[in-house]
Amino acid sequence: MQDVRMRIGTATLLTLVSFFSVPGAAGVFVWWLVFTPRLQEIKRIRIVAGTILMIALAALFISAGGGDGLSYLVRMIVIILIGIWLFSEQKTGEFLHLGVWMFGNRTGFEMGMIAEMGMQMAESLATDLERIHIALKIKGQRWGAKTLVPAGLILVSDALVRAQGTAELMAVRGFYNGGSLCPKFSHRRRDLISGMAAIAVGFLVFIPVSEFLILTW
Amino acid sequence: MKLHLNAARACRGNWSLVADGTFSEGLHLVSGDVGSGKSTLALMMAGFLSPADGSIVRDGISSSMISLQFPEYHVTGATVAEECRSWGLDCEPVLYEINLMDKRDVAPLTLSRGELKRLHLACALAKKYDLLLLDEPFSSLDAKEKERLCEHLSRLSGGITIIFSHEQSCFPRVDHIWEIQQGELFNRGKMPDALTRWEHAPALIKKIIASGKSLKNISHLDLQEAICRT
Repeated sequence: MQDVRMRIGTATLLTLVSFFSVPGAAGVFVWWLVFTPRLQEIKRIRIVAGTILMIALAALFISAGGGDGLSYLVRMIVIILIGIWLFSEQKTGEFLHLGVWMFGNRTGFEMGMIAEMGMQMAESLATDLERIHIALKIKGQRWGAKTLVPAGLILVSDALVRAQGTAELMAVRGFYNGGSLCPKFSHRRRDLISGMAAIAVGFLVFIPVSEFLILTW
Repeated sequence: MKLHLNAARACRGNWSLVADGTFSEGLHLVSGDVGSGKSTLALMMAGFLSPADGSIVRDGISSSMISLQFPEYHVTGATVAEECRSWGLDCEPVLYEINLMDKRDVAPLTLSRGELKRLHLACALAKKYDLLLLDEPFSSLDAKEKERLCEHLSRLSGGITIIFSHEQSCFPRVDHIWEIQQGELFNRGKMPDALTRWEHAPALIKKIIASGKSLKNISHLDLQEAICRT
């Protein structure tokens, strides 16, 4: 889906639908199967396995406490799939266009810029994690409680150094506030179809269809 | 002890690098432009990146070490002393040698890039390895530290040491020169014959060769000796 406005709207709707009920999650899963590159995205994002493991643990606790852990697990996994799709389709600069389109050249520009920086930071953190992993391997160490704290410190420290660098660069270039941008968006026919399909999934879950249709055997 | 690259190919999007050749014991220099694939090749040779095609065979190599270009990537300790210990080293002599004793309790990432590189190289070079891969070891070092590193590398004996660098001013005495050009690793041969085939050779070296003077190697001493010869 090329248009970031449609993509975020679709992802928000599908997340709500999925969270609402298991049938909703099933409908969203079918949408995900039909309209996204599916497993190709998951392979690229290693953090998925860890996230699913954490959710499975939470589901186990819910079940142990008498709740419906399985329902939680199913709904959350589908929400993660939608999140992965949203993240993998993201292109540099889109949030800036979206921010300006929504809130104008001052507030919108700044919000968009902060979002762009956040995305850049997320990518840098992923690269840093990979490098730390290699560094540990070089030293013959393994991931564990002992290495977790220093690794976390390095990630935070690196992020702060980068943020300071960016702030200094912007100050040197004379940034004060806001900016000027003419937002541009593009979409294909397929994007409209997948957006309509997402609305249809939401319609089927949120609207009690049986009250409008006479269903007889 | 040998490292065989059998048409090993690294790919990243539309970019690719193919490497074919055998690295035997001694000091090798792999030169190439920035972005030519030196770091990728180093990671592949270290076994941290699988070749998309071909293979890399280690013959008689039982221990290896790679020094990544950016010293920050190696840091796993919360303090300078812890960082030393994370390499399995006694921190006192190492820090004393590189003049960082007074910074033993500070966070490694608060050191300057040059200090951090010095710390990293001191740790990485403290032990002996069959295969030692150094990715841009001279970057972030001042002239004095570069010279000190060159002397250390020139003194190494046994094992395969490979320097990946686009350095143009300071070199140790090397045994073999390789070059990456247009996505391919070329074997320029043993010293001193390799010098005439080395396309990335620094201007000074090219000038000495063009003037008809013979050059035995590429260290400062060798260059001085060639220049002063009448």
